[in-house]
Amino acid sequence: MSGSKKPVNKSGGNRNVAIGMILFVVLIGVLFSVLSNKTNSHVAIPSSVSAADGYGIVFNKDAKVRVDVWEDFQCPSCRAFEAVSGDYLNGLVRSGKIKAVFHPMSFIGPESILTAAAAACTADSGKFLDMHSMLYSNQPASENSGKWTKASLNLLAVAAGDTSKSTQSCINSGKYVNWTKNIEADAAKKNVNSTPTLFINGVQLNQAHYRNLAAFKADFLAVGVK
Amino acid sequence: MKKFATFQPWLTLSFRLILGTVLLLAGYLKAKAPSEAQQAVRAYKLLPVAIANLIALTLPWVEIGAGLLLIVGLAVTYSAIVGGALMLVFVAAISQAWARGLSIDCGCFGGGGQVAPGHTKYLQEIARDLGLTLTAVFLYRYPHGKFGVDKSHDLGAKNER
Repeated sequence: MSGSKKPVNKSGGNRNVAIGMILFVVLIGVLFSVLSNKTNSHVAIPSSVSAADGYGIVFNKDAKVRVDVWEDFQCPSCRAFEAVSGDYLNGLVRSGKIKAVFHPMSFIGPESILTAAAAACTADSGKFLDMHSMLYSNQPASENSGKWTKASLNLLAVAAGDTSKSTQSCINSGKYVNWTKNIEADAAKKNVNSTPTLFINGVQLNQAHYRNLAAFKADFLAVGVK
Repeated sequence: MKKFATFQPWLTLSFRLILGTVLLLAGYLKAKAPSEAQQAVRAYKLLPVAIANLIALTLPWVEIGAGLLLIVGLAVTYSAIVGGALMLVFVAAISQAWARGLSIDCGCFGGGGQVAPGHTKYLQEIARDLGLTLTAVFLYRYPHGKFGVDKSHDLGAKNER
């Protein structure tokens, strides 16, 4: 350190300022990340949604057997599950035999957020299950490809039978975009690490049963649902 | 010895850039996809869920900070300690996942979480992180290099003359 005392003192000050700035960025970043990944009770939520059910979209809230479906509309495995067991599951929901809670996740990216929010809009007009099937049967081949936009989601909602004006404005205004963060935050709390993840009465579905309709039906039979 | 004295500042610079860029990139990719990062940390099944989630939100910013310091060459000794310690933690976490037979992606650069059995890349991930640990050790020992903001003020600097 000899021979450089003076410049050291001067640049030492600047140096500490620079280090301080970087540490400040780190601190602010941590704060931002922690705060923006909490559930927020002030955001707009679909009418069937409550914090008690993890902000999921609820059907038949008084049925005894409860199914939680964690999915991402862009996830190929979710489409595969839907293709194998979607009709059966929807049938159980429509006939009121089970309480179903759908948690449309959005970790795959921006188009998952748009899609989940749009699906939530159709929930308010009672067309969620139709939109749900419609989305999977029109899932683009690659994620965040630009194919899912507000305009195309509006068309899919109409194709799914939801022609209401309120759904249209809900999709266009991105009414439920912030709600999707609550789903993500709740998934983090519930330790959901992949999609699709189903729980029947709180018990996670066997990994092999997602693509095996007979085994899936047997799981419901075991809890008294025929 | 003389040769080393000529090369060392350049080596320090390259290692600073390598380790710093890797940390900055890894931090950035995780910070911009927090849900995925949380999934990735939970998938190691090492920590209680709430703590894993919190770490996933904190870690990227620590990586970004250490990466920035290394790239500009500030407090290199300390940021090398942070970088090296992170790498060792990653190696330990990945190794235990491998040993326990989990099928996960390390989530080092975003993404992560469960993958199909047989699609794991544990060996590559560990080798990469060990290599980066070595660069951190070198930087700890020789923090002074070319184009570093810190000239002779780095606390704990060992190679100043």
